[in-house]
Amino acid sequence: MTDSTTLGLVGGLLQAVVIVAGAPLLVGLMRQVRARMEGRVGAGIRQPWRDLRKQFRKEPITPRGTSEVFRAAPVAMVAITLVVAAIAPFVTAASPLPGVADLFVVVALLATGTVAIALAGIDTGTAFGGMGASRETTILALVEPTALVAIFALSVRAGSTNLSAIVDSTLAEPSAVLSPAALLAAAALVLVIVAETGRLPVDNPATHLELTMVHEAMVLEYAGPDLALIELGSAMRSAVYLGLLANLFVPWGIATEAGVLALLVGVVAFVVKVGVLGAALAAAEVFLAKVRLFRVPELLAGSFLLALLAVTASYVLA
Amino acid sequence: MSDTAYVQLLNLTAGAVLLCAVLVLWRRELAVIIRLFAAQGVALAALIAVLAWHEGSPELAVLAAGVAVLRAGVLPAVLRRALGTAREGTEPVREVRPVVNVAASLLAAALLTLLAFAVSRPIVELAPSPATQAVPIGMAVVLIGFFVLVTRRRAVSHLVGFLLMDNGITAVGFLTTAGIGLIVEVGVALDVLLALLVLQVLTGRMREAFGNTDLDELRELHD
Amino acid sequence: MNTVEVALGCAAGSALLAVLAALVVRRRARPAVVGTLTAITGAAGVVAGAAALLGERFAVELPWIVPLSGIALTVDGLGAAFLAVSGAVAVAAAIYGIGYSHHGLDSRGVQATFPLFVLSLLLVPAAGSITTFLVCWELMALTSLVLVVSEHRRRAEVASAARWYAVMTHLGFVAVLIGLLILSAPADGDAFAAVRAAAADLSPAVAGTAFVLCLAGFGSKSGIVPLHAWLPRAHPEAPSHVSALMSAAMVNLGVYGIVRVGFDLLAVDAERWWWLLVLVLGAISAGYGILQAVVSTDLKRLLAHSTTENMGLVLVGVGASGLFASIGSPVLAALALTAALMHVVGHAAFKTLLFLAAGSVLHATGTRDLDSLGGLRTGMPLTTAAFGLGALAASALPPGTAFVSEWVLLQSLIHGLPAPDAAPAAAPTVTVVVLPLAVAVVALTAGLAVVTFVKAFGVGFLARPRSDAAAHAIESPATMLAGMGLAAVAATVLAVAPTLVLPTLGRVAAGLVGSPAPIADAVSVELVGVTGLLSPVLVVVALVVAAVLVVAIPRVLAGRRARREARLWDCGGGPLSPRTEYTATSFAEPLQRVFDTVLQPVQDVDVTHHQESRYLIAAVEYRRRVPDRIERHLYEPVLSFVTRWGRAGRALATGSVHRYLGYGLCTLCALMLLLVLA
Repeated sequence: MTDSTTLGLVGGLLQAVVIVAGAPLLVGLMRQVRARMEGRVGAGIRQPWRDLRKQFRKEPITPRGTSEVFRAAPVAMVAITLVVAAIAPFVTAASPLPGVADLFVVVALLATGTVAIALAGIDTGTAFGGMGASRETTILALVEPTALVAIFALSVRAGSTNLSAIVDSTLAEPSAVLSPAALLAAAALVLVIVAETGRLPVDNPATHLELTMVHEAMVLEYAGPDLALIELGSAMRSAVYLGLLANLFVPWGIATEAGVLALLVGVVAFVVKVGVLGAALAAAEVFLAKVRLFRVPELLAGSFLLALLAVTASYVLA
Repeated sequence: MSDTAYVQLLNLTAGAVLLCAVLVLWRRELAVIIRLFAAQGVALAALIAVLAWHEGSPELAVLAAGVAVLRAGVLPAVLRRALGTAREGTEPVREVRPVVNVAASLLAAALLTLLAFAVSRPIVELAPSPATQAVPIGMAVVLIGFFVLVTRRRAVSHLVGFLLMDNGITAVGFLTTAGIGLIVEVGVALDVLLALLVLQVLTGRMREAFGNTDLDELRELHD
Repeated sequence: MNTVEVALGCAAGSALLAVLAALVVRRRARPAVVGTLTAITGAAGVVAGAAALLGERFAVELPWIVPLSGIALTVDGLGAAFLAVSGAVAVAAAIYGIGYSHHGLDSRGVQATFPLFVLSLLLVPAAGSITTFLVCWELMALTSLVLVVSEHRRRAEVASAARWYAVMTHLGFVAVLIGLLILSAPADGDAFAAVRAAAADLSPAVAGTAFVLCLAGFGSKSGIVPLHAWLPRAHPEAPSHVSALMSAAMVNLGVYGIVRVGFDLLAVDAERWWWLLVLVLGAISAGYGILQAVVSTDLKRLLAHSTTENMGLVLVGVGASGLFASIGSPVLAALALTAALMHVVGHAAFKTLLFLAAGSVLHATGTRDLDSLGGLRTGMPLTTAAFGLGALAASALPPGTAFVSEWVLLQSLIHGLPAPDAAPAAAPTVTVVVLPLAVAVVALTAGLAVVTFVKAFGVGFLARPRSDAAAHAIESPATMLAGMGLAAVAATVLAVAPTLVLPTLGRVAAGLVGSPAPIADAVSVELVGVTGLLSPVLVVVALVVAAVLVVAIPRVLAGRRARREARLWDCGGGPLSPRTEYTATSFAEPLQRVFDTVLQPVQDVDVTHHQESRYLIAAVEYRRRVPDRIERHLYEPVLSFVTRWGRAGRALATGSVHRYLGYGLCTLCALMLLLVLA
């Protein structure tokens, strides 16, 4: 077994564990930051874990008239996110499955998770489920061009869409981080992430009004362990997206060789980076209002423009 | 200054100039648009300062300071005054309904940038250097400025569009020739200032005549 | 004697036997006999194609079949790929047809035409000369036209669809005819080999004209915008197994024609603008097709629009390939062409599956309107599973069939830009501008395809039934399920183990553009020449392992309790009726609004008030139609012009026989006069 395979396997397992355990804490942190900035005390960053524990012990509920799709969707969504958590470069630059750690594959896998939940939303047969699914898939469709063109911009430098290759090329050439191409691509990806993880101004994760919901409307019928899986899955998605953003642009600290110390540094660096990004996102949300659904395309057109400029800049401003 | 640092700073400032132009298209509030224009002036001045530093030319440094004063200070102030008088009236201080909607204009800006890139490629290949490589950005700003001019309804956004074009032309000029000469630049700057003042007076007159500065009202003059 | 020859002979023999059987066998046994024999034809086609792909070559001339030029068959790598695809689709469609052929479809005419259609689909890619090609092409057009009108007694729209199809397919034929005749004029004979040899002497203008004419003719067969107008009409109106053959096999032959002419016959004259044109047309078709699919509520029409989209993506690959070849990077050219061929294969598999499943729904409920379907999974679990699988494959999500080919296509596109530090001459301006836009179009298409198929599957099959017909749907007969099953297996195999066919297709593409094989022989998809690695098997394995973990760990940690049924959240308003569900129309409404300026939908809302008071509303009626804009602006002027001339011409026809005979005499005299004067 070569060194990089070992590193990939150990690191992959480690980062999957870190993300599963840490994702609810990230959500807790983001809520706590918002609470403090809004002058509330907040429930503490461990609250999401307490909620999850409680929900996992509850009785599973199947709403009348729903099918296997409804029951399988949360499992599918968490499983997909778990795979991404294990294979993308979060703690280590090597991947346990190099044939899966491709940026296109990762983005498409995460989209598949969204589709699973959207189908579950339609499957309930309620107006809210259908509405949420319709809005979520609309946003998904409009985000896709931005995401892929931004990937294009990132891969021009590395000559590959393989995540490890992109991270390695940034590590080898640190000054590239400050190039206009990288900055524009980062800005575009931030908007993609805001849209995909359902944060303000695209979606309000804390809303209680069904008509303004996007993600929440789809999962309105879930309860008990199913709901716990959905919550865990969304938290993991946030962590995965923020982790990707962090490591694609600021990969320092990531473990490039197998060793306890290197892995430990990798974990700490990853947790710090994602924590800082999450806190920054939450802090920014305090100053934002949700935009109307039909203003979202404007936002996404803007991010698409940024991504396209990133591609052009990566070529023009060598 | 080392070469890589020079290239990076140059690219960053050029990128900032373009980004400001794009954001002008994106945002609706006139006050924000003016602020973005001022920011672009700062970026442009920084771009010239970087060139000055690289070439060790004090003349360029003076020009950079001049550009900063004019484009980040005087012109935005004039625009803000035009807006200030508008605010006393009843008309909204936003670009409410542009001729082409915002999402479509952003996509159009993407295409214009690619077009600018395509047309300026031969110029770049004449003398490839970090400075000329950024020429497409200046061209893109010119085209985006023109686009703003075509698609926005409010007089103030028109002025900004016009000034964006001028910023783009200035950027192209400095990037290709590293300094057009003090006299020429001062002349152009005075020209721009004069044009702006005339337009501001016109805007004021329009408001007196029509009650707002929606340029579609000018159509009435045709009948 | 080689395998290809035997298999092709078998195919022709069993097809002719099927025609004979259709004419003599009793009505009750007819579909079974004809279906079985046609399936054998298809299977023989697959065998012939596979043998030829593995390296066997076959060429034969049969001068006695058609007078003057005879029939020449040549099977090379490119033809073999399309031959095998057509044969495979035919097997599934023929078996399905046994159960599907009920009232009206079991008549002698329809049953005898079906095997002929399948045979023509096999012979077009096997043709070795221009005459043979054109004869088979026309046979394919005529037989498919007969099959499209086969249900004209049951639905009035069939006649109009058939008219569109007849006119457009023949205009396309004329374009192809002229284009190919221009090519064969300077050649010594009409065999492809002779044409290829003579192509070097053509002037650029002549070669360009021939290519554009062929592109128009072949493009119209593939449903490429703006020549797509017939496709969303004719494909849905045909019986479903014929729709599958048309949408999964016949449209491919348009692509075959373009590739054959551009990369083979005219390869020496190919210019960059040809391929730019192909790429742009492909991108427009992909975007426009999927936008129309997103907003359509007719299940089969939605699938037909998606065919336009997929053929557009294939042409993006073909165009990119030509573009790369013209800038001197054959490795990328081979890669892009491989992606296009793979997409053809994958599309054939999932589109067969989807059309057969849609036919099954139509068979059970009698409607194709998504707004009145829903809840089919209780009555038709297998059809639901089949459509779900097809939808996953079509929406380009991993682990789906289309994902693999789109991944390869994207890889070829993004590697088209050289590293920034390379010399500027390495990438002409046009590629730097075109490639990012192409990536954006492919991405937007992929995103919209997701919405389309979530809508089709979610609204059509999940939730609660929106009509009585949907509520009482029952599963289809075994033969129909078997047809769907075959297609489902094909789609799954292509999704999980694409490397069974990818390296072979890669070699075919590499042979056309003259480069080393772009894809390595390995379990995972490994690109050669550029870096790229994708392992669909590992994706599936990883997902299964993760799913098992996700189910098992909470059970171990938190224990397991029995499931309980509960009411849906109805805001306290009592049980919800199916009328409160989201429909296909409402599902697509946000996107329709986003693309308002492109689609320009026509909507009207009728509010009926109570008679007693204007303030009380009795009913609100909402209607929305998305007319095809391209059609309105391009076809309507032409049609109205033709109609005007037709009216003017009517003045000549008074009904008097003497006058008509007089016209004949006048024409004859005029001709003679002309001869004398000349």
